Amino acid sequence: MSVRKAWAAGAAVAAVATLALTGCTTSTAPTNGGDKGGDGEASVLTIWQNSTTGPGQAYWRDATAAFTEEHPEVTFKIEDIQNEQMDGKLQTAVQSKDMPDIFMARGGGKLADVVKAGLVKDLTDLVSDDVMADYGDAPFAAFSVEGKIYGVPTAVLPGGVFYSKDLFEQAGITETPTTIDELNDAVAKLKDAGIDPIAVGAKDAWPAAHWYYWFALRSCDKDTLLDIATTKDFSDPCWLDAAEQLEEFIGTEPFNKGFLTTPAQSVANSSAGLIANHKAAMEVMGGWDVGVIADLTPDKKPLPDLGWFPFPAVDGGKGDPAAMMGGVDGFSCSVDSPSSCEDFLNFIASPEWQGKYATAYSSLPASAEAQKAVEGDVEKTFLAAYQESPYMSMWLDTLLGQNIGTALNDGVVKMFAGDGSAQAVIDDVSKAAERD
Amino acid sequence: MSTTQTAPAAGRIDPAGQRETPRPVARRRRIDWRKNGEIALLSGPAILIFLTFVIFPVFLAAFYGFFKWDGIGALEWNGLQNYVWILEDPEFREAVGHNFGIVIASIVLQGPLAILFALVMNQKIKGRSFIRIMIFVPYVISEVVVGLAWSMLMQDTGAINQLFGLDISWLSDPNIAFWSLMIIITWKYIGFAVILMLAGMQSIPEELYEAAAIDGASFWKMQWSITLPLLGPTIRIWAFLSIIGSLQLFDLVFIVWGRIAPSAGVHTMAFYMYTEGHLSGEYGFGSAVAVLLFLISLIVGLVYQRFVLRRDIDGALTDAPAKDAK
Repeated sequence: MSVRKAWAAGAAVAAVATLALTGCTTSTAPTNGGDKGGDGEASVLTIWQNSTTGPGQAYWRDATAAFTEEHPEVTFKIEDIQNEQMDGKLQTAVQSKDMPDIFMARGGGKLADVVKAGLVKDLTDLVSDDVMADYGDAPFAAFSVEGKIYGVPTAVLPGGVFYSKDLFEQAGITETPTTIDELNDAVAKLKDAGIDPIAVGAKDAWPAAHWYYWFALRSCDKDTLLDIATTKDFSDPCWLDAAEQLEEFIGTEPFNKGFLTTPAQSVANSSAGLIANHKAAMEVMGGWDVGVIADLTPDKKPLPDLGWFPFPAVDGGKGDPAAMMGGVDGFSCSVDSPSSCEDFLNFIASPEWQGKYATAYSSLPASAEAQKAVEGDVEKTFLAAYQESPYMSMWLDTLLGQNIGTALNDGVVKMFAGDGSAQAVIDDVSKAAERD
Repeated sequence: MSTTQTAPAAGRIDPAGQRETPRPVARRRRIDWRKNGEIALLSGPAILIFLTFVIFPVFLAAFYGFFKWDGIGALEWNGLQNYVWILEDPEFREAVGHNFGIVIASIVLQGPLAILFALVMNQKIKGRSFIRIMIFVPYVISEVVVGLAWSMLMQDTGAINQLFGLDISWLSDPNIAFWSLMIIITWKYIGFAVILMLAGMQSIPEELYEAAAIDGASFWKMQWSITLPLLGPTIRIWAFLSIIGSLQLFDLVFIVWGRIAPSAGVHTMAFYMYTEGHLSGEYGFGSAVAVLLFLISLIVGLVYQRFVLRRDIDGALTDAPAKDAK
């Protein structure tokens, strides 16, 4: 009996295997993102961008249409990819070597990994002189791997402290804090006035981790901080010092009630929602927060009393108190994209299209020329601070890459939850660095 | 798992085989050819899908588990180092502990509750079908919706605290969070258990109760001596499904707690696999975690089948000839 069953199963498998073999051989060869055309040759460029809503999508339609008008031989295939899925989709594309011609990138360790796989075009000599002169070197730093440029920035998103001017006034705070001591005073005053001083979305890990990034930016000297992606060496005492200062700050209980289970954005009880509804006074966040908060106000309009100030200086810190932490968004070309790819990136890097990009995405343009046209009081405040900053570091998790970045974020969250310690953060990160 | 699926099938095939036994040997062989062809044709697509999407990935994961791999670059041989790292990590051991805690608490909480609910609903009471629907609704709602709703309710500033004037950190206090998770799990999955128990109860012949009533047995005596023993197979199957579900739990934990799950003491093996494998971009390491998760589930499943489900399977095969066991 059992022999017969086994035979039947075997026959079934064999039959199926035959089917599978014949089926597989007829599958079509992968398409490779369009024709590989040189100058003047017809080409179709595939774009992976992360806007799935009105203005962002409209931007890409308009920009590509304008480019095609100038270069009729170049047409586009735009793919709107949800922001959170971008990394995963790109990873799949890298594995199958079926890359889009143009894809959104945020630089740092993640882009470096794709560069190492040999799939990103070296743009060092392909970025036009006009763009280089306009942008300056700074925004390109995020997209540089071993001295070569692999992407063109489209937006800069510096971070800092967003706050409600009304709530500050209500608590009797007249000047924005410039040192941690002053921040502690402000926290105390807000508590006395019955206001939750600071909102943080620790549930998502990165918003809590941002606090650590800032303490590290202020504690560590420029080179120690900016070189960490290559050295991966956290033995300099400034890293532990930053964690200890944050631990001490957490000990003063400055955060909103239930901050451990508070998400960062998109719902009313998120940290951004708390700011938007005057339930908390401050939030450490990136430049995108203006738009995120505006979406969560009762009337879905920008919060009228929103203000911004740079993260305060720390005692005995070796970092420049004016240094910035932030993100840079940009676009890269895959290694075998046609030359129209870099032409298009140069095209959207022009001040005109940079201005439109900033409006569509509610962000700061990377082009210095386009930055002159920035509107909005809050944006102008942090734009000025960005322009004056001696140097800017990328968010440390982006800078360090997925593995160490995730370990860092999780370590900081544990400290927020009272489950870890300053030393444990450094230990976790060092352990992840060993595994890398 | 696979043995549970094939065992009942064997029970169905056997009677057919028995009917054929009186036929001449040569003739039976010829019919077998056709029959096997039919089996191949009908079960082929299912087997193909099963092999491609279940068996092949399992082997692939086992393969990747021996490498350092970031999902993009080249595979880098790492021997058993991934497994050493996992087993040395106290966070993984905690996760395993949580999973087994959930396994036990699920059975202890849901089992008796579900039987009680089923008993009530098995009586002819008014609005019975309405109550049935209400109890079953949470099971049908998507995990994401359930997770989001409970995470808002159980916030420090959420509805539960405000409604009852409490000040309890349901989600972030490590002493409480596990029981909050059990409340959510019980609420979500009790409907499934109730439906199973109800179905089990309705298959118990009414005559038994009638006979017991004539003998003067009380209501509770009848439930204790008739319903419970005859519900045994249902309870054992439900417990098996519950155990497997508890060992694989991920979505509710991730949605309600997000990245603070380890600090709140509710992270599970699957959660560990997701954060340490996928979020960290360490796909080799994550694959090794997946292999361990698979092995743990497999061992638990096999042990349960061997010692608990055995008589149920035997029962299904009582018609089969004894030599078949060989």
